[in-house]
Amino acid sequence: MPKIAIVGAGPSGCYAAQALLKLDKTLEVDILDRLPVPYGLVRYGVAPDHQGTKAVARQFARLFERQGVRFIGNVTLGETVTLDALRAAYDIVVLALGLSKDRPLDLPGGDLGGVSGAGAVTRHWNDHPDEAGQLPHLGNRVVIVGQGNVAMDVLRILAKQEPDFDGSDLHPRHTDHITGAGVAQIDILGRSPAHLAKFDPVMVKELAKLEHVRFALDGLELSEGHEDDPRVAALAALPQDVPVASHEVTFRFGWTPERLSGTEGHVDAAFFRRGDEELGLSCDSVITAIGFDSHIPGLRDDLLARAEDAETGVVDKGLYLAGWFCRGPRGTIPDNRAAAQALATRIMADLGTLTGAEKPGHAALIAAHPDLTDYDGWLRIDAAELAACTDGRVRAKVADLETLLALASGRAPGSATPETEG
Amino acid sequence: MKIKLLYGTETGNAEMLCEDIEAHLEGDHEVEMANLADTDPADLAADTFHLVVCSTYGDGDLPASAQPFGEALEADQPDLSAIHFAIFGLGDSSYETYNQGSEKLAALLATYGAHQVGDRVIHDAMGGDMAEDLALPWADARIAQAADLFAET
Ligand SMILES: Cc1cc2nc3c(=O)[nH]c(=O)nc-3n(C[C@H](O)[C@H](O)[C@H](O)COP(=O)(O)OP(=O)(O)OC[C@H]3O[C@@H](n4cnc5c(N)ncnc54)[C@H](O)[C@@H]3O)c2cc1C
Ligand SMILES: Cc1cc2nc3c(=O)[nH]c(=O)nc-3n(C[C@H](O)[C@H](O)[C@H](O)COP(=O)(O)O)c2cc1C
Repeated sequence: MPKIAIVGAGPSGCYAAQALLKLDKTLEVDILDRLPVPYGLVRYGVAPDHQGTKAVARQFARLFERQGVRFIGNVTLGETVTLDALRAAYDIVVLALGLSKDRPLDLPGGDLGGVSGAGAVTRHWNDHPDEAGQLPHLGNRVVIVGQGNVAMDVLRILAKQEPDFDGSDLHPRHTDHITGAGVAQIDILGRSPAHLAKFDPVMVKELAKLEHVRFALDGLELSEGHEDDPRVAALAALPQDVPVASHEVTFRFGWTPERLSGTEGHVDAAFFRRGDEELGLSCDSVITAIGFDSHIPGLRDDLLARAEDAETGVVDKGLYLAGWFCRGPRGTIPDNRAAAQALATRIMADLGTLTGAEKPGHAALIAAHPDLTDYDGWLRIDAAELAACTDGRVRAKVADLETLLALASGRAPGSATPETEG
Repeated sequence: MKIKLLYGTETGNAEMLCEDIEAHLEGDHEVEMANLADTDPADLAADTFHLVVCSTYGDGDLPASAQPFGEALEADQPDLSAIHFAIFGLGDSSYETYNQGSEKLAALLATYGAHQVGDRVIHDAMGGDMAEDLALPWADARIAQAADLFAET
């Protein structure tokens, strides 16, 4: 029986497994991840107050619970195991590693203190172990650069008040931190006019429900003649006449960022240009939401360069790329599903032409690495997080990697009430 | 009575739910399942009870896999007066357009004469219920309601 390893347990890896099993339910599929928890950005990107979107994880759980897919956690491609070793152990290897590095703001002052990437900030709020230690710097006045859906997630979390997080899994330590910073003024800027901005209109409609926020719009006139555009209409409907507001949110369109200035290594203002106009906004922090790059650029560039069919994700017979790692940092969860179905069809065709000896599969991995975790390990983490949950929240996520690993291995002392601070 | 499960989906939840319903009904009934994306309005048959499961996307729109079917209905304007269906919706109550996809699809089928059996039941992705806990009783109840209709013909 051919053995398939999918590296990366995010949506694209899970959808690839699902699509392969739909074509042949006898396939042996293992999904590997560097973390002891599955689901990638569903757990660590999708906003904590969008639990409905995170619920797609229930669908992926079936792979492991009913469809015989094996989850192998705590295995990092390139560290724990090389690509060559994986290819030797499996007939088919699919890399679905995502793109987790924030694209840097390549401008003077872009590396000042107080400048953070939206990926890092949203990972922090989602309790990703990589970001557990770093509290993002916020302050009273926050400037968000970029106007895609990720920027809108950041804006909404900053503008919400504690009661608005009811039913979320945003840990109270994050709301304490945001409230403690006293965020009161948020400017969100993009290069495009509103009708060409990247956010989905529903993201703006969702903001309109926050009764303590006063909105202002700068540059909506650039969208003259596009009043029927759903983005423009949603913006125009934002409440601007709010007598008592704790937060001011200003959308600014058509502004290109030029430079950041700072004092003592910390950002204190951001400067933008729109034709002949210059805009300087004094601020305590800047959050950039301008896209993502690979955290392992060398490997990705090399694979894409020699790919037989980069669009579908075929490097050669036996090695494939999926999801954001393949197509770049664009596209929603359902986009990965459609792409995974096309890829699975191609993999099945290639499988038919495979020759050679039976491969060892996970047995080779597990023999060499006793610290790997499994799906039952994730279920232990899941149970501990649900048990530790506080009022108004649906889960208390564990951010510390050592604690996660201890829970996964079943050796956590008092694992029913885990320590969540790292 | 033949049963056909039809799903309209974007992230796959409706498809998974139909698989659950299929497994639940199999043995007692003759069941087939299809994606609305692969279904033509002319495929709907008078001797078949259609159980439709459909989510909502965008801003209260039909999910991607149901859109071509919706467009085909509007383009072909078929006579569906011999067709019976029941509908189950998937949605998320944090959207103002909560579960409008299934509502639109039901309205569209009715526009061309199809008969809806029983009320629409909806699932909320933000709520605590598992979709199958609502959908399996829905399927059983609607099949019981439809039994008489199909016995008469
Ligand atoms: C902040 C944010 C919010 C988003 N919100 C939404 C939303 O609300 N709705 C929506 O539809 N889409 C949303 N998206 C988009 C969606 O998350 C992506 O389309 C999707 O996650 C891409 O899936 P993927 O599997 O390619 O990557 P990922 O989800 O990033 O999964 C990659 C996996 O690979 C693992 N990995 C990485 N490197 C290694 C390695 N070397 N070895 C082993 N494993 C490794 C990671 O741990 C991770 O689990 C959001 C994206 C971001 C960044
Ligand atoms: C981008 C996006 C938009 C959505 N829009 C709506 C909506 O307008 N109304 C609603 O009730 N649900 C909406 N939902 C929720 C989905 O209908 C719900 O998650 C459902 O379970 C998805 O089922 P599916 O996987 O079969 O498509 C939306 C979900 C996403 C991710």
